[in-house]
Amino acid sequence: MSPALLEIERLTKSFGGVHAVRECTFSAAEGQVIGLIGPNGAGKSTVVDLVSGFGQPDSGSVRFAGEQLIGKRPDVISRLGLIRTFQTPREWRNLTVMDNVLLARRRFASESLWRSMTQARRIRRAEEADRVEVRAILERFQLAELKNERAVRLSGGQKRLLEFARIAAAEPRLIILDEPMGGVNPVLGARIGEAVGQFAGEGRAVIVVEHNLPFIEKTCDRVVVMDLGEIIAQGPFSGLRDNPRVVDAYLGMDQTHE
Amino acid sequence: MYWVSIVTEAGIFAILALGLDVVWGWCGDFDLAFYGYLALGSYMTFVLSIGKPTAPVKYIIGWHLPVPLAIVLADIVVVALAAIIGAIALRNLRDIYFAVTTLGAVSALYLIVQNYTPLFDGYNGVYGLINPGQAALRLTYNGYRIVLLFVVLGILFLAYLLVQRLSRSPFGRMLRSVREDERAAAAYGRTVFTAKYRAYLFGAALAGLTGGLFAIFISAFNPSAWTPQELLVIYAAILVGGRGNPRGVIVGVFVVYIGFIELTRFLPSPASRPEFGPSMRQILIGLLIILMLRFRPEGIFRERPGVDRVPGPGWRLGPFRAPAAAASPGSVTAGPAVAVGTSTEAPPRAAQPADAGEGLSARGSAREGHAADDGSGQ
Repeated sequence: MSPALLEIERLTKSFGGVHAVRECTFSAAEGQVIGLIGPNGAGKSTVVDLVSGFGQPDSGSVRFAGEQLIGKRPDVISRLGLIRTFQTPREWRNLTVMDNVLLARRRFASESLWRSMTQARRIRRAEEADRVEVRAILERFQLAELKNERAVRLSGGQKRLLEFARIAAAEPRLIILDEPMGGVNPVLGARIGEAVGQFAGEGRAVIVVEHNLPFIEKTCDRVVVMDLGEIIAQGPFSGLRDNPRVVDAYLGMDQTHE
Repeated sequence: MYWVSIVTEAGIFAILALGLDVVWGWCGDFDLAFYGYLALGSYMTFVLSIGKPTAPVKYIIGWHLPVPLAIVLADIVVVALAAIIGAIALRNLRDIYFAVTTLGAVSALYLIVQNYTPLFDGYNGVYGLINPGQAALRLTYNGYRIVLLFVVLGILFLAYLLVQRLSRSPFGRMLRSVREDERAAAAYGRTVFTAKYRAYLFGAALAGLTGGLFAIFISAFNPSAWTPQELLVIYAAILVGGRGNPRGVIVGVFVVYIGFIELTRFLPSPASRPEFGPSMRQILIGLLIILMLRFRPEGIFRERPGVDRVPGPGWRLGPFRAPAAAASPGSVTAGPAVAVGTSTEAPPRAAQPADAGEGLSARGSAREGHAADDGSGQ
């Protein structure tokens, strides 16, 4: 078996006296959707921050396609092919929907100050191909009619879709979604679940932090359960329902799930 | 000649404002050191072109270079200083912390220049750049000033073309994404510091150039010519014209400089209180800033995001010029047209016949309303 795309080993981080994350070890393979669940304060978001470079762990290792991520800046990690989202959608508010997604195409070479001054026309021509693709992506996420609107004017649900459109445009190898279902209605939720499945189908690894357990059950191949900074269980969702530690830690799990 | 002089000055400050707008308007960095770059550019242009000082006057260098070459060299010095200040201030500091750091930097520069006479002769400053090239061009004094006006306007036009091009380029778009949300920009691979730093140096280069032109314009330069308050006028001008919109910035400078500052010159200035006029002007500028922020924070010309002109596959009403018309100033005053993220269940709601024209979530039916607005868009 080939090594997984993302390998997290003994990741540890404390804030003052609080052990936010303790000795966490798990991995994610290409084409797989991993659910990361646990009660509030379990350390899920801290894990996301540590993996994506928005925080530095006290110890442990994170390997992405064989490369050590610890110590690298968020932008460097992103350029390696890892895209993460945040708990609230962080759209570029006063840019248009089109520009938001175009930026996610990440044509860094055309963002050079010098080339922007001297080769403006060539850059614009090269961008046309990206625009065609972005228009298709916007269509896929029902944002085509809003492409010239400022992102700030979208509704909460549309902002979630914009987040997914940006990810699709970025074509990352690993996607980490931090609570993608926050404030999302069931119809849109189904659309988001579908998108997650599509990403995995394209061979990308997906990690989903989420409280919505039916969503996790439906979309995830494997689930990692955290509590008080530690991983207390991992495996297929069906196996977790009978695990007393999980039921104990995840208050209300039975009720939400029925 | 009075008007020639005023328009020349406004033109020079418009170039400065274009540079400052790249730093503040595009990147969101409220830089208070910016006027220092103009000052340093001006000082350096003097000492590189007016020759050796005669005692008791003291200043450094004292070369006799042709003025255009002096301006170029001066600009390099300015960018070098900006590289140091920017490297310190932009790395981790944002918002008010950045502003305070740059204010500290420019205050230090000010005090050094004022008190350390061997540098630029302290309080007295440097002088002697009187219409360089007037004899060679065989112009009268007035003729020279008119030519200078057109040179300044020409340079302003070139600077405008350059900044406008950058504004629409992927570089400008990337800077604005950093301004809107740094963390998201980093999550999509942008190195925030480098992005801001490059813009900062570009802005400083324009400020240094402005300093050179200013040196020719006023032919003498001392600390009283660059008190930090001057910068507030430039900020007010950008705010009035439209932050982030190069055309608006230029209009703003001319409006504020000519329409505002010059008109307030006619304020009464009692002989017993000579400071009344200037102080009153400061108060009015502050008032102008407050009023703009209250009633029209986007300025006369709003920042224009890029418009994707090819209609998307979802269009049904045929060619549709600029949906951004909905976001144009016209409709902002027109009523409660903005439904900013109020409904989280927008897509299903969009399918229903919604209250017409009331924002974006009502997509289908709001189209006609927008189409009607279309002609009025900026």
